[in-house]
Amino acid sequence: MRPSTASTTSPQATRRRSSDFFRGRGFLTLLLVAALLWSLTSLSWGSSPVHPGGLGSIGQFFQAAIQPELSAGFLGLALSSAWKTIAYAVAGICLAVAMGLPLGILASGVLARRTRVRVPGVAGFRFLLGAMRAVHELIWAWFFVAAVGLSPAAAIFALAIPYAGILGRIYADFLNDVPAEPLRALRASGASETKVLLYGRLPMALPDMLSYTFYRFECAIRSAAIMGFVGVGGLGMQIQLSLSDLYFNEVWTLLYVLVGLVLIVDLWSSWVRRYLTS
Amino acid sequence: MATNGRSPSPIVLLEGVSKRYNGHAAVSALSLEIREGERVAVLGPSGSGKTTLLHLIAGIEQPSEGRVRLAGQPLSSMSAGTKLAQLVGMMHQQLDLVPHLSVKHNVQAGRLGRWSLWKSLVSLVSLREREMVEQALERVGIPEKLHERTSHLSGGEQQRVAMARLLAQQSRVVLADEPVASLDPARAEDLMQLLTSIVAESNKTLIASVHSTHLTRTYFSRAVGLRKGTLEFDLPVEHLTDEALNRLYNFAPSHP
Repeated sequence: MRPSTASTTSPQATRRRSSDFFRGRGFLTLLLVAALLWSLTSLSWGSSPVHPGGLGSIGQFFQAAIQPELSAGFLGLALSSAWKTIAYAVAGICLAVAMGLPLGILASGVLARRTRVRVPGVAGFRFLLGAMRAVHELIWAWFFVAAVGLSPAAAIFALAIPYAGILGRIYADFLNDVPAEPLRALRASGASETKVLLYGRLPMALPDMLSYTFYRFECAIRSAAIMGFVGVGGLGMQIQLSLSDLYFNEVWTLLYVLVGLVLIVDLWSSWVRRYLTS
Repeated sequence: MATNGRSPSPIVLLEGVSKRYNGHAAVSALSLEIREGERVAVLGPSGSGKTTLLHLIAGIEQPSEGRVRLAGQPLSSMSAGTKLAQLVGMMHQQLDLVPHLSVKHNVQAGRLGRWSLWKSLVSLVSLREREMVEQALERVGIPEKLHERTSHLSGGEQQRVAMARLLAQQSRVVLADEPVASLDPARAEDLMQLLTSIVAESNKTLIASVHSTHLTRTYFSRAVGLRKGTLEFDLPVEHLTDEALNRLYNFAPSHP
């Protein structure tokens, strides 16, 4: 951009500044703050933000944090339900990659050379991916449980569909954003767009795609735990059972296991990321 | 100028070619005739249209006016792909290798125009035509880098990989956009020597944009000077005078 040489007092500059306000950051900030205030007033708070008898329960709940249930029997149960949650998360994310990768490639439009094919294709597949991730995994889970009953397949598909929607969308962006020069060179050596994808786009986008998939895998563990609430087992179901019995000590044991799981996956994924970028 | 009897029509022919970007002319009304086996240096200050000229010959850009012919056929009649790739290959200033792939796959990419999709896919897992790749790397002097990740190589080594890819592509015309611009003088000399000897071995045609008049005089047979997208001079290098160069780069006030 060229540095402006016009004096700041010129009427033109003043007009430009006032219109800049509506386009620039100041206006956006004001809009966001207004939206936040409006959203707070439109919630029905009742007389007080906290339920009258709630303070006591909150106290009990946090007191239990320092005395989690550590009996061998319960720890065994916690670990076996953690294992179940991991299994759901792994299966769900694998299926999500298997669906998200082809959909992402199609939604990126990199295979279509003619605009007449590319534009409606990209719009169509982006819409499909958007629809898949617009519906929360819990809603998909209710839907599948209603359709096929309480089965592992229901939980896995419920996880995989919205995650495929997210992964596909991000994969499409990564495939579009790779540097253009190597692609141009591949085309100059006679490569078709499919070969350019194989030899240029995918290798260049792969580290980012893998890194993002690992990040999503962490999220999938949380989601898989939540799946338990609809009754398909795992950490979420145990948390719900202990909560409804008001066994807060057990709840905390299960929460610590969940936090541990997420931390382990985080360590693993940052190790993989470092390996990929070195 | 080398005019051998074998090819009646020039390998590269530009007829009144112009290229405009948003009304700004990068190249205007340029006519040029290049015969097989010539080594043409394209000179000129930055922004004089050197890269655009090379891209027009490579079919990367389409002319706004005029026509480009390769081996007698209009470029516009050739769909991008195999046929064009067998006529022209291009190397840029380093940026055009895929850094995440191994050296062998970047070299092998020169064959993609000739290979089926299936063969290209299989080769990513288990290298096809390995001997061809090894020979190309041997010729450019880095046979030991076969399995290395391309991003781990130095700038000069990457340019050698780009040359090996051109060897694999086996095009009749080699275009090079400032192939040695980012290297120190000694390395630049080595690489230019290598590039011109590879080209001479198989009687290919070389068209390269260069900045150094020393390299032009040593390694090229013909010098084309561009200024603001038009032809300033077109001479055999023996006739390239300092005065012509000064005028081209505007070092001295131009003479009437």
